[in-house]
Amino acid sequence: MADPVLAARGMTKLFGSNEVLRNIDFEVIAGRNIALCGENGAGKSTLIKLMTGIYTPSAGHVLLDGEPVIFAGPKEAIAAGIAVVHQEFSTISALTVAENVFLEKEPRDRLGLVDRRRLRRDCADLLQQLGIDLDPDTPLERLSVAEAQMVEIAKALRSRARVLILDEPTAVLSHREIDHLFRILRDLRNQGMGLVYVSHRLDEIFEVCTDICVLKDGDVTSAGPIEDYDHDRVVAAMVGRRLGELFPPKSGPATGAAPVLSLRDLKVEGSAASVDLDLRPGEIVGLSGLVGSGRTELALAIFGAARGAGTVALSGANYRKRTPGRSLAGGLAMLTEDRKANGLFPDASVAWNFAASTLGKGARALALSPRDEEERSRSVVERFSVVVDHVGQPISALSGGNQQKVLIGRLLENAPKILLLDEPTRGVDVATKAEIYRTLRRLARDGVAILVISSELIEVVGLCDRVHVMRDGAFVAELLGDAITEDGIMAVAAAATGGGMRPSHD
Amino acid sequence: MTDFARAVRFQTVHLAIIGLIAAIFMVGVFASDRFVTVLNIANVQDQLVALALVALAQTVVILSGGIDLSFAGLLGLLSVLFATFAGSDPATFAAAYVGILVLGTAIGAITGGIVAFSGIHPLIVTLATSTIMAGAALLHTKQPSGSVPIFFEDIVYARFFDFLPWGTLFVIAAYLLVGFVLWRTRFGIRVYAIGDDERAATISGVPVRLTKVLIYALSGFIVALAAIYLVGRFGVGDPRAGIGFDLRSITPVIVGGTLLAGGRGGVLGTFLAVILLALLANVLNFLNVSNFYLWIVEGVIIVVAVSLFVVRARS
Ligand SMILES: Nc1ncnc2c1ncn2[C@@H]1O[C@H](COP(=O)(O)OP(=O)(O)OP(=O)(O)O)[C@@H](O)[C@H]1O
Ligand SMILES: [Mg+2]
Repeated sequence: MADPVLAARGMTKLFGSNEVLRNIDFEVIAGRNIALCGENGAGKSTLIKLMTGIYTPSAGHVLLDGEPVIFAGPKEAIAAGIAVVHQEFSTISALTVAENVFLEKEPRDRLGLVDRRRLRRDCADLLQQLGIDLDPDTPLERLSVAEAQMVEIAKALRSRARVLILDEPTAVLSHREIDHLFRILRDLRNQGMGLVYVSHRLDEIFEVCTDICVLKDGDVTSAGPIEDYDHDRVVAAMVGRRLGELFPPKSGPATGAAPVLSLRDLKVEGSAASVDLDLRPGEIVGLSGLVGSGRTELALAIFGAARGAGTVALSGANYRKRTPGRSLAGGLAMLTEDRKANGLFPDASVAWNFAASTLGKGARALALSPRDEEERSRSVVERFSVVVDHVGQPISALSGGNQQKVLIGRLLENAPKILLLDEPTRGVDVATKAEIYRTLRRLARDGVAILVISSELIEVVGLCDRVHVMRDGAFVAELLGDAITEDGIMAVAAAATGGGMRPSHD
Repeated sequence: MTDFARAVRFQTVHLAIIGLIAAIFMVGVFASDRFVTVLNIANVQDQLVALALVALAQTVVILSGGIDLSFAGLLGLLSVLFATFAGSDPATFAAAYVGILVLGTAIGAITGGIVAFSGIHPLIVTLATSTIMAGAALLHTKQPSGSVPIFFEDIVYARFFDFLPWGTLFVIAAYLLVGFVLWRTRFGIRVYAIGDDERAATISGVPVRLTKVLIYALSGFIVALAAIYLVGRFGVGDPRAGIGFDLRSITPVIVGGTLLAGGRGGVLGTFLAVILLALLANVLNFLNVSNFYLWIVEGVIIVVAVSLFVVRARS
């Protein structure tokens, strides 16, 4: 095999006394695409940060074209031709698309001033080349998460990089955008770029990668060309055991009970169409559709975080002036798409983050009871196998998937009767996904009504009793039982929309 | 959208302030026939030069997510030093002028260095440096003292067509220049990037620490200009010249629509807000309203302005 462009040798990283990576060897080869797999907290993002100058290794070193290099910071790695799409967004919402894409690489004129005209043109050219339909002058804050992610990808590809590393780039993208991204990745690979691809969606890995490397407990447990692997072998290397069924058995439609949530003519702001929906206790209903079909807005309007016209009724009682606070008090809880907006306090400890949302319970004596919070957060940490040193650790030190687990755990703490979940398993590893699905099914069996928005079709198909497919703010189809298939959903969701990728507001 | 509109990030907040300025102006016209006189109009401008400069410095710092509370001490110290060394002939004056600018910039750079490398909140760092400099200024002289050459006072008091002081032109030039720097230089884009999301800026390769040093250095430089102006206006160096300017420099920034959290806003809003506040003080004066009411009104304006921004940000 060819010599690696970029390699890690004997890479070891300790955070305090916590040894996250132990003596790892990892290679990126031109014209190949290597998948980096592992459970949440396995150290994938850490390895990437070690190779790109964001973290300093505790031991080991990085080789560029076979020569040892030390990247003192991300800037040097970028200059060496290593482009990264990080798991945490690196786009800046106060800047425009063009300013983001060319941040620190702005075209400058002879006087060293930023050439605004060229900046805009270069950005438009790049976006066109990648088939991304966005205006370079739009401020990032006006874009949806998916659009921001495409900007992130364009940013990584703004100059001819030799290595492109993508850390869970598809977590916020929908089917169509993912296909588009994969076409781009294949082109780049054929042009001789070396790629690293991190994802918890194994089917993606088989679709786009040529090699695989699995991390577990700080070691590489398995590595080789992708042809030698199948789904089960990857999971076994990641989890250390064979996994049973990913999805628990469905319980069939709940037709008998009276609906706990009813929507009549609910129309979200900016949409022409309206929807009707009845959600009954015990059922898990999926909302499927392309990014931009209005799923998120609909959920936000129900929850009271966005405006909507029409009626929402909780257990038959009209629920007028909707606010998140009143929704929570009424047993209606929502997990939103964006972790930051979810009220995650990044610098506070895991336990404190619990306290912040479950005040109602812990604050009986007007004061928080730290022991209480700690105990409850510890039980969630155990249930969802959150990889964390101790619950006093700041939540920002947790891996992306583990933050998501904490959020879900926290949401369930308040024993809601209706759950609205927007992309609940984003960035979560397979084993924990299974745990989350089991938990949701158990909740449903206990009488909770659950509405799930997901761009991951397998998830919708495997989990939901009933699926509404949305397009342009309207329900265009309802699928039941065996009719819920990936092809079935895609056929309705994508009907009558053109080709190419057009990420739009979701 | 034209390039210009993008450059100044023209927004409704600016129109709102212009509307308020017009309204207050009308009140002034009715309040007194001495309001629209060349003398009074020049007077309003004289009042706002120093505030406009320190608010400009503060705008850049706040845009980057920081805050600079060192103006009180810095203005006092630079003011007494300048008056001490300016002498009476052009040569000593020029040397003192350059010296003060260099000193102001250097002090700013050191402050920025401490902020960037220590991780201590800029509020605390700048409060500390302000206190140190205020002490140093008072050790140097307890009373207003020193002098500047007559020709400098003449320049400060010179007016074009009777109503346009040099100071105003100077302020406009300074705002245009800083606005240009924010729009057309990589440094300017970095300021917004750091102010909005320091972590994202870091992983994007923005040299966060260097930029912070430069930001506080720029702030020190502009404040040195304000100190020199104040000495020219009062003819002496005063260790207490800066008192109040620390907090007063923040008001126009906030009223002008720049977010205290950083990343959003710009110099145009600050400029308009400075005019608004200076005019307000002037008109209340004509209405024979006590200065204390001015404080109350200013406070109300801050609260109203900020709540409007919050409401707008939510929708
Ligand atoms: N800055 C930090 N300080 C302390 N511990 C950290 C820090 N960053 C990561 N860790 C720890 O290192 C481990 C590996 O984290 P990392 O983010 O690399 O996981 P990951 O494999 O990318 O997981 P995910 O799939 O959830 O993104 C985790 O246990 C995490 O808590
Ligand atoms: Mg990760």
